[in-house]
Amino acid sequence: MTPRVVITGVGAVTAGVTGGAAAVHAFLSEPRPALGCMADSALAARLLDGEARRLSRVCQFAVTAGRLAVDDAGLTAGDDVDLVLGTEFGDLRSTVEFADGYLASGPPGLSALIFPNTVMNTMAAATTIAVGAKGSSLTLNAPTVAGELAIVRATAAIAGGRASAVLAGGVDQIDPFLVSMLEELGAGGERQGEGAVVLVLETEAAARERGARRLGEIMGSASGALAARPHGVGRSVRSSVVADALAAAGVGARDLGVVYVSASGDRARDAWETGLLTAALGVDHERRSALRHLIGAHAGAGALGVVAAAEAARASGRPSLVHGVARGGSQVALVVGP
Amino acid sequence: MKRVVVTGLGAISPFGPGVKAYWEGVRSGTCAIRPVTLIETDGFRCRIAAEVPDPVPGSPRRARADRLALAAAREAIDDAGLGAAERKRAALIVGAVGGGMLEAEAWYWHARRSGVAPRAVHALRSILPYSHADVVGSRLGLGGPRETLVTACSSGAASLAVAADLVADGVVPVALAGGADALTRICFMGFNALRLLDPDPCRPFDLARRGMSIGEGAGFVVLEDAAHARARGARVYAELAGSGTTTDAFHVTSPHPDGEGMARAMATALVRARVAPKSVGYVNAHGTATLQNDRIEARALRAVFGDGAVLVSSTKSMIGHTMAAAGSLEAVATILALVHETVPPTANLTTPDPDVAFDCVPAIARETAVECAISNSFGFGGQNVTLLFRRS
Amino acid sequence: MEPKEVLDELRTIFVTRLRFEPHRVADVTLDTPLPKGVDGSIGLDSLDFIELSLAVEDRFGIVMDDAQDLAPHFATFQTLCHFIAERATTT
Repeated sequence: MTPRVVITGVGAVTAGVTGGAAAVHAFLSEPRPALGCMADSALAARLLDGEARRLSRVCQFAVTAGRLAVDDAGLTAGDDVDLVLGTEFGDLRSTVEFADGYLASGPPGLSALIFPNTVMNTMAAATTIAVGAKGSSLTLNAPTVAGELAIVRATAAIAGGRASAVLAGGVDQIDPFLVSMLEELGAGGERQGEGAVVLVLETEAAARERGARRLGEIMGSASGALAARPHGVGRSVRSSVVADALAAAGVGARDLGVVYVSASGDRARDAWETGLLTAALGVDHERRSALRHLIGAHAGAGALGVVAAAEAARASGRPSLVHGVARGGSQVALVVGP
Repeated sequence: MKRVVVTGLGAISPFGPGVKAYWEGVRSGTCAIRPVTLIETDGFRCRIAAEVPDPVPGSPRRARADRLALAAAREAIDDAGLGAAERKRAALIVGAVGGGMLEAEAWYWHARRSGVAPRAVHALRSILPYSHADVVGSRLGLGGPRETLVTACSSGAASLAVAADLVADGVVPVALAGGADALTRICFMGFNALRLLDPDPCRPFDLARRGMSIGEGAGFVVLEDAAHARARGARVYAELAGSGTTTDAFHVTSPHPDGEGMARAMATALVRARVAPKSVGYVNAHGTATLQNDRIEARALRAVFGDGAVLVSSTKSMIGHTMAAAGSLEAVATILALVHETVPPTANLTTPDPDVAFDCVPAIARETAVECAISNSFGFGGQNVTLLFRRS
Repeated sequence: MEPKEVLDELRTIFVTRLRFEPHRVADVTLDTPLPKGVDGSIGLDSLDFIELSLAVEDRFGIVMDDAQDLAPHFATFQTLCHFIAERATTT
């Protein structure tokens, strides 16, 4: 029997909500726009003595969210706890800072402390050290859907019997330099957000055995790549990804309650997503933003959408669908139950 | 759980384009580490690296790392003989670290030095690691799950491990997996600053070793469900019988001093493959030639295999540390070692470190048939991946 | 250069290169140990020491010899100040 995969905890560090399941639930019950940067003072307060000195800002997001998630789930991390973090931009700010040190003073201006942050897995590395997770740790890099893909990857590890618990989610940081460059390149419309959201996923049996509280279930998932130029929006709306996710969950389109989408203000991509969902589901479903209109586009928003989907499934008694599609063609779908 | 086999290989390395050039170079023990030409190196203690020689295939308007990825990916897909329908279902898992940083750096350096406010350019679009997957996926018509993994120095190996899981789980019948990296200023300068580079070509497992050499390249493999491969009459190179992925969770740059995470990765690969340590005849080591890595890796090898029980060699002695490509390029070397019954040597090894209790195959390749071989990639800060291949 | 002058320069390096809060660095004395794990230490790990070496090289013109065991010189602020004061080629 394939193990069932349940969500037993969440940690969120975003402009709109910082905390565990209770804080997230309160935010989702009365969602309100919360764009823009997070106050650094709020972050520093949650780190251990001396930690802030050695963690770049985006690493602080991830470490804090990881700790909140582990506490929320009441989990003890160890050899068999994995981590999968999605990110779109990683720690680009540190890369620029590192380069600036050299450009200002030559080789003596290089910083050994900053250098490890120039590789995108730095947030995952910092989080595994902070929580003691020693199984496999992966960083997934993708535009738009990195958070959702991380949860698909984590679910597969648990369902495949390779891990008993996985911390999975997304993290991104607003970088003003980057944002201005992207705007010049014509990536207009989409509002960037920042933060980290990490879920704890476990086998249902393990969760039950340790009396963990269950927030939801990942009933099925699928991903694929549609034909599109890099950074481009595809022309076709034919795809089997949603059907594959529904089949994996043993659920029909008519059984679905709410559909969460990855829409974020990038008009061409948002339109493509609408076309894909209409083609796949046929019947009208209540469509809600996967929160990106409220908290901005970042990899954490994708993970938060999965939590929101679980809440909606609990409220309606019908499983939710979480969908995402990126420029360049990556597509992902998850069926989330109560 | 399905058996996973290797049905296609692709490489572009400091020996030039193609698997043939790569294997010939590696097998002959030739060192491809030379003075750097791609970036400025004034003021640095180390000024050498293993660059892919000119001409690099592909349009010069494309980022170098994208071109490397595409060249190796294309060779692997063609080698496997996959048609359009199979490609449409194929997963694509790419290990990447530097992305298009080389071109972005050139732009940024120029902007900062000229004092002019930088205006965005086309090159910036390719800056992020996921660029390779979108370029390769769209050019080769790959429509299955698409992911880019960044796990520092073990990214290339992690991509094979994740792709193998997709095939073993039955999610896809075929997957293209591998890593790519081009030389970048950030990487070269950073390792220089950390004093981790040898001013001369690196000497893995040598008593006098002083650090790494950096390299660049790309390596890709096609992984396939064994039954699917058999049904279409595909040529099988070897079986990817198991993998282990662990994290030290110890320190951001230093490995755990006991090699605990490394040993656990190897042990997990053995357990998953259901292979006893004594069936492994060859270890393609991470072998970066830093004092720390080689000593700790040797300790971990001892813990798993016992003294002297396996042949060990480091491909980095010849192609340097190719970063995200390392895990996959070295996997290709490991697979070919099984196929050709030849263990490639460790170059630049004149005085083996007595603390390393293994025959590290100095200078000359060893003709020997082995049942199983493993490839280790132990990323910066404790991201450990071991791949276990079994002869077919 | 006098050890006390060196200490002031080190305080600056600890803020700008090692990212300590100014108030934390203002509190240190010559006796404060440097490496992590020692009672009362300011808590530097291996990566911090690499950064510190780079900064000391840059600011004082001292080239560190990799082959030498430098650990005793980096034990406390006192030992480091003396090490630098004896070798500094730029002031």
